[in-house]
Amino acid sequence: MTGLIPILVLGTLILVFAGRLVLQSSRSSCKQPVTIEDFSRSRAALDSVFIETMAIRRIFAAEDMDYVSRTGTPDVQSLFLRERKGLAIRWLRNTQKQVGHLIDLHLRLASCTYEPSARFEFRLTINYFYFVFVTNAVLALLWLRGPFEAVRTVTYMLDATEHFCSVFSIRLEKIDPAKLTSEREAGMV
Amino acid sequence: MSTNFMWWCAIVLEIAILFRGVRTALLRKYPLFYAYIACVLVLELARAACLASAPNFYATFYWYTEPLTIVFGFAVIFEIFRRPLIYNPAVARLAQPLLVVVFLLTVTYAASDLLNSGLLTLPRLTAELGRDLRYVEGTLLLVMLWLFGRYRVSLGRNFLGLVVGYSLLIGLGVINLAVFFLPGNEFSIGLRKLLQITYVATLLVWCCALWSARPDPVTQAESSIERDYELVAAKTRTAFAQLSTFVTRTLRP
Repeated sequence: MTGLIPILVLGTLILVFAGRLVLQSSRSSCKQPVTIEDFSRSRAALDSVFIETMAIRRIFAAEDMDYVSRTGTPDVQSLFLRERKGLAIRWLRNTQKQVGHLIDLHLRLASCTYEPSARFEFRLTINYFYFVFVTNAVLALLWLRGPFEAVRTVTYMLDATEHFCSVFSIRLEKIDPAKLTSEREAGMV
Repeated sequence: MSTNFMWWCAIVLEIAILFRGVRTALLRKYPLFYAYIACVLVLELARAACLASAPNFYATFYWYTEPLTIVFGFAVIFEIFRRPLIYNPAVARLAQPLLVVVFLLTVTYAASDLLNSGLLTLPRLTAELGRDLRYVEGTLLLVMLWLFGRYRVSLGRNFLGLVVGYSLLIGLGVINLAVFFLPGNEFSIGLRKLLQITYVATLLVWCCALWSARPDPVTQAESSIERDYELVAAKTRTAFAQLSTFVTRTLRP
């Protein structure tokens, strides 16, 4: 009976993946090949993530909290904490979305690279799953304990985001422009 | 009665698929897939002739010919592997070692399973061999489906129908076989019927998807002035992008 479980899982996964493929194909964006415009947009998205990631460290800076604790009334402290918490959660969700978008573009651009590497792809997949797990854990931590108690995990997250940006930057550098189509051509396909 | 009806339905659908394949020239595009359909059709007609002329020999004939259909099924797997990756050489390069590893692992597992089962009668041995080959097919198909999904490989309507139909056949077939081999289920008529229904449903999917030829989703339009200009522009943008990354890295505290 236990030997049956992997076989049942195999059969079920085949059906699930086939269903996912149908869903993916029915979405208009997946029907289009990667365009030069996608390539340009991905560069812009990458640059914005780089800049934001550097600026956002300030939300979690302990010095601000120390200053408010020393000089502010309890009301001000509470307002400050509430605002920072809201800001941190919004930033976290936005970062999750942006990294997800970068990974999506990365995968779509995979067929346009000069030198694909199985090891690189495998490590990136593992890193991404780990990143998703950690960001969700940080989100829960932010809800429960506020932004200043989650500094260490947030630091990991910022480093991970920068890592993804670097990885994606490397991918963009290896793109063969000859394999990209323009949006006009993609519309004709 | 219903078994015969399913049988004839399958034969009619196979003929329709082959006929449309010739008319739409899809036969030239997916030769291995059509070879599989032709093989199954010929075997079914031969089995029908055998049942009519020598019913006592039918069971032996069936079990001798069954592995042939499964082996031809690998041709469809190869077609699924070959066709979309023509336009995605990078993904193909990633898929090749992965598929070889998965193939070797599953064949080893299936072979050890077969060796451990001891002395068997011909029908049982053939059925178990067929089941193990189906597991190998299933694993390879799963890897391909995962790669298509992960790398957003563009599939045309024809090819998507081919893949979805085959996934339906293999996915439900694998589940069915696993349950079939449980003690007490060897003679289950319901499971046999389910296999036939799955096969006819698969043929219907193929028939609909391959009724008319659709263009491939990726076509490289080359050698127009605009195209050349866009290429140069893209190359310039790449150079600027590299420069921008370098500057960002240098300026970072």
